[in-house]
Amino acid sequence: MPGFLKEFFNRNGTLMGSLMLGLVLFWTVGLIILPQLSMLDFSFRPNLPPPEIGGPKDVYTLENYKYLIYGPEGGSQDYNAVDLKVFFRTLVAAVCVTIFNLILCYPIAYYLGQNKGNHIRVFALMLIIPYWINEILRAFALRIIFGESGVLNTLLVGSGIFDTPFDFIRNDIALYAGLGYAYILLMIFPIYNVIESLDHNQIEAARDLGAPWWRIHKRVVIPYAKPGISSGCTMVFMLSAGALAAPQILGGPSSLWFTQLIYQQFNDNSDWPQGAAYAIVLLVTCILLVLALMRVFKVNMGDIGK
Amino acid sequence: MTTDKIIRVSIWVYLGIFFAYLLGPLIIMSATAFNSPSFPRMTPWECLTFNWFGELFRDERILNGIWNSILVGFGTVILSVSMGLAGALMLTQIWPKLRATYYTIIIAPILIPGVVLGISTLVFWDRINRMLGLGADSFLSNGLFLTIIGQSTFIASYCMLVLVARLQRYDIALTEAALDLGATHAQAFRKVLMPFMMPAILSAAVLAFLASFENYNTTTFTFGEYPTLTIELAQKVRYGITPAISALAFMIVALTVFFALVNEANIKRKKMVAEARKDATVGELAGKIEVPGLISRNPAAIALIVLVIGVATVTASAMTYSPDQCIADVQEQKRLETEKRIQELRDRRAKEAAEKAAAEGAEGGATQTAPKPSNNSGFGGVFAPNTLQNEGADDGASDEGAAGSSNNSGFGNVFDPNALGNDNN
Repeated sequence: MPGFLKEFFNRNGTLMGSLMLGLVLFWTVGLIILPQLSMLDFSFRPNLPPPEIGGPKDVYTLENYKYLIYGPEGGSQDYNAVDLKVFFRTLVAAVCVTIFNLILCYPIAYYLGQNKGNHIRVFALMLIIPYWINEILRAFALRIIFGESGVLNTLLVGSGIFDTPFDFIRNDIALYAGLGYAYILLMIFPIYNVIESLDHNQIEAARDLGAPWWRIHKRVVIPYAKPGISSGCTMVFMLSAGALAAPQILGGPSSLWFTQLIYQQFNDNSDWPQGAAYAIVLLVTCILLVLALMRVFKVNMGDIGK
Repeated sequence: MTTDKIIRVSIWVYLGIFFAYLLGPLIIMSATAFNSPSFPRMTPWECLTFNWFGELFRDERILNGIWNSILVGFGTVILSVSMGLAGALMLTQIWPKLRATYYTIIIAPILIPGVVLGISTLVFWDRINRMLGLGADSFLSNGLFLTIIGQSTFIASYCMLVLVARLQRYDIALTEAALDLGATHAQAFRKVLMPFMMPAILSAAVLAFLASFENYNTTTFTFGEYPTLTIELAQKVRYGITPAISALAFMIVALTVFFALVNEANIKRKKMVAEARKDATVGELAGKIEVPGLISRNPAAIALIVLVIGVATVTASAMTYSPDQCIADVQEQKRLETEKRIQELRDRRAKEAAEKAAAEGAEGGATQTAPKPSNNSGFGGVFAPNTLQNEGADDGASDEGAAGSSNNSGFGNVFDPNALGNDNN
């Protein structure tokens, strides 16, 4: 038995030590690492019926990735325009949702972080309650509001702003509002946590030295809150790029989200390797994008998730 | 001074908009549960009804979904809290070189999209199942097992974060003292560490259950024959929505508010007890923490009591109240309106036909081209294009078609596009 393992068991006792080690190994290796590797492996294989798996046809291939770029072999187009368009639209829209959320949430996080009192507790409670409601039901609530005869259209038509009801769902406005709505709390909490620890005297000092309010934010608050802002943005971006419920319920009939393509490959086409390949592409692109942005804004990985 | 005032006002305006965006949808959704039209809507308000709650409780699939969700929830809580605790304890012991890597691995599931987690779980355990030579109905490919495993992968990370926060305040000397005094490791864990960790374990468990209960992205790939409540809801919402879903949402909202207030009142009470202890003798204490003391200076408790009374009143009135008369009235009114519209339409058609006939007569008296509009009016307007369109819109209740909108623009918003369909039901 290696020395470090012996020490570990000495410190925790044989029973407790092996229980702990077993659980941690099961979680990290059995639930996190191996399934991801298995999915990666799967994405390089052709789609075969179960009896042929492991047979001579079961060889590694790039077919599934080629499909995303070039479309079906012998197709009429040079590139898989439909899927690629959905893919880039998903990424761009997720970035837009993230920016929208940041603009919406930064002031409230700042307000909650720098003020004390009973009403702050009430606000915090009001923030948390929507987060406990089912994701599907939150999307459903927005669907009621944005529907053709929904509350918003009734108001707009009734007040004479529009002559005819505006189709929020077909124009994807409902979708973006829904995605933003779903992840508000994930943006607020990290920023709030950081800003709460900012000494108010620093802001007072900046004000005494004559800085206008926007410069105080630019030079004092935002640099201080950067870890919180970046972890909030990372979470919102990853979750909205990977969202499935909101696009399914609030998305227009003609516009798809990339996760919906993955879902279709799995459930409608039963082409698991293809779906796995798409999932890998989504995961890797999102991670690379986040890492690149973190490099640009000079944030460390260790700050995320605090 | 004035700029200060402007800033203050704009802060409150901003807060108002923000919370309207946050809470407005939930309030409107809850309200639609009490309105009688079969498409969830606030306007026009027709009749107060409690029928949608009855409909909800008669829905086998929803009830089955709730049961499955609870099963999955308990499995997930047990698995993810124990994995999270082990992961948190390991984090304090693992040697520093590996710590960053280890932390990245166990925090990663929070950032990996749920869809990817669901797929990887499905693919991996399918492969294990094949390796072991088990059939398609073994417990490894059973939806219950897969869902619990898939959800625990990332929920354990949440639990780990909650537990680490508490563990950082733990004095390791306590365990060492217990061991020196002759306790076994298991005893030291159970009698010393566990009681200290208990509050964090409880909140991790609640968090895990809620996260499991509302998870959709991962579950949708793994549920198999155990569709959870969220899956059932998603199916319903995607293929036609009814106010019964609003009724369920209302109950979830009410429960959430209830527990939030209970929690808040509890915290407040503890604080007050602590304050009272600071400057009171033992004899005074008993008098101060009685029920009246709980309510005074505790807004959360007051809100809680109001909520409970409100729910009780609503339930009691729901037992005696019957919306049938009101619904009948509204339907009668709609029928009259419809008739009026048909009559108007008929008049217009007749007038058009007359004009057309007159024009044609003037042109040369070509009578063989029977004008189409007069046909419709001949059948009493039943086949008027608008009527047909409205029925179609009601069939596809999830998406009330453009037919409704064209009517709305013509007649203002009073006429409900589904109303005609309802009459036919």
